[in-house]
Amino acid sequence: MTAPCLDTLRPSLEGVVASVIATCDAEGLPNVSMISQVHYVDPERVALSYQFFNKTRRNLLATRRASVQIVDPETMQQHRLALDYEETLTSGPLFESMKAKLAGIASHHGMEGVFRLLGADIFRVLSIEPVPGPKIPRAARARPLLAATRRACAALDACTDLEELLDRATEVLAAQFGIRHAMVLMAEDGEDRLYAVASRGYRASGVGAEVQFGEGVIGVAARERTPIRIGHMTREYRYGAAITETARRAGLIEGAPRTIPFPGLAAPRSQIALPILEGGRLLGVLFAEAEETMRFAYDDEDALALVAGHLGARIAILRADETDEDHPAPGAALPLGGGVTVRYYAVDQSVFVDHDYLIKGVAGAILWRLLQEFQATGRTDFALRELRVDPALRLPAHGENLDARMILLRRRLEERQSCLRIEKAGRGRFRLAVACRLTLEEPA
Amino acid sequence: MSSSFIPASPINDLASWAAQKPAPGGGLLTPDLVALAQSGVSVTLASCDPDGRPIVGVGIGCRIRPDGTIRALLGRAANAALLDAIAAGGRIAATFTGAPDHRAFQVKAASATLREALSDDLPEIDRQCAVLADGLVEIGFSRELADGYVAHDPDDIVAIEFLPERVFTQTPGPGAGAELTR
Repeated sequence: MTAPCLDTLRPSLEGVVASVIATCDAEGLPNVSMISQVHYVDPERVALSYQFFNKTRRNLLATRRASVQIVDPETMQQHRLALDYEETLTSGPLFESMKAKLAGIASHHGMEGVFRLLGADIFRVLSIEPVPGPKIPRAARARPLLAATRRACAALDACTDLEELLDRATEVLAAQFGIRHAMVLMAEDGEDRLYAVASRGYRASGVGAEVQFGEGVIGVAARERTPIRIGHMTREYRYGAAITETARRAGLIEGAPRTIPFPGLAAPRSQIALPILEGGRLLGVLFAEAEETMRFAYDDEDALALVAGHLGARIAILRADETDEDHPAPGAALPLGGGVTVRYYAVDQSVFVDHDYLIKGVAGAILWRLLQEFQATGRTDFALRELRVDPALRLPAHGENLDARMILLRRRLEERQSCLRIEKAGRGRFRLAVACRLTLEEPA
Repeated sequence: MSSSFIPASPINDLASWAAQKPAPGGGLLTPDLVALAQSGVSVTLASCDPDGRPIVGVGIGCRIRPDGTIRALLGRAANAALLDAIAAGGRIAATFTGAPDHRAFQVKAASATLREALSDDLPEIDRQCAVLADGLVEIGFSRELADGYVAHDPDDIVAIEFLPERVFTQTPGPGAGAELTR
């Protein structure tokens, strides 16, 4: 027996090989069954998935003791844990993280719809006993995670503006962790919704795509402010249902769709979403996915959570540092020719360029404000700070996501390759570049 | 995973229990459960120590004698605590779980007897382990891991024998854990 510390046993707690649980009733009659999930809570506690009210459950409530055997899926080393039941959680971050993992395990075993998490039973680990038996040596990890994390954080430190920082975040996941598909989503001020603002490894950037809180691993990570990962994809955590609903509602207002498709992989097998927090406040979500199963383990979650945490701190520092610093640098002249009609629908602040949907919400309102000002006065240079206090925009009192909104707007305009652009013009400043005749319409 | 098989269910287990008589030699088990237990399944065990604390164990294979006595084979060193609890008079539970369809049943008895392994246990264990490893490969294990999962030390095998007194379906799904009674 060794002093209980579960940290080195986490590979055995991924649910790859089913664990075994023994319990007894008050008369000493034992019961033994397989259990889908023994989840790591902290070095001294695990959570077991409560899925059915069965004999195991009755025994646990009666005698509060369990003996569990876990298997490392790489080395086949087994350990026996003596556990004492503490409590059952039926909501919250731990519950949601187990629910996502269980959905993946169920999908993997053809048990989708059969395995359903009713509660997370929390147990204190009294002892951890290695079980003697044949083992397979563990292979050395190709990329030591701690070194990769350190390099990733250093790379983020080198960024001097938000746009560069968000792009760098997806770059370092590729360079340091070999993660080829990733995105950064930012939270809307006061809304239970995120929008993609940077992505890497997809055919379409998907910048501007929205994810509702609670939807997929991204939406659950945002709502619960906890990392969520899944090693076998399942329908339950796919994106689309809520997006379709948004599209349908939008369709009632105007024929053209007002959404941007989510850029994710068509057939992901592993996904992980890490909340980007600053002082407990949700700034956004760092998301990665892969076509292989079980791509992200507990150690990967630790590493990426550190990167996401560092990203949150860097965002906060850059925002605190925001000043108007005028660097007039004329943008490349756009070819002048033709003309476009820009339409604005106040109902959802959506903007259409000719008949194509561009953007909606705060970013749509900002663009419309800039275009009106340009049309009336010919002015092209603006400061973020004046938008923040512009009564016509009615921004939330602490509209700190304005910078991220501007990045989104710039990128959408760039992707559209229309004759409208927004260029950076020094810290906290930007320039509207209009290279064609402009007609503004605001249909009633 | 593989969707080529019809998932086993507790309902199906209850139906096949009702449709069969106990195996002719004696004991409670029906012929299909006798066959399942010896078909290369995962064997898990539990007892209760004198303090009332449950002890989990993992077996290597299983043989069933014509009179219905179950002879579960397990590693001695790997299951020292379980063997101690049984020697001290602890009751026994054993669950047999098949791969790849997760069909499973559990048996319980008031006591079990420790026995030495017999020379003809070893080839039978090898056979069952080979079948189980193939089943694990079928549900997605690599060959190396499947073989690692069933690996054992042939010089450290012991048997526990008991006559099942109660039988339960343990296949996952609604009704899992239901007792199979006459």
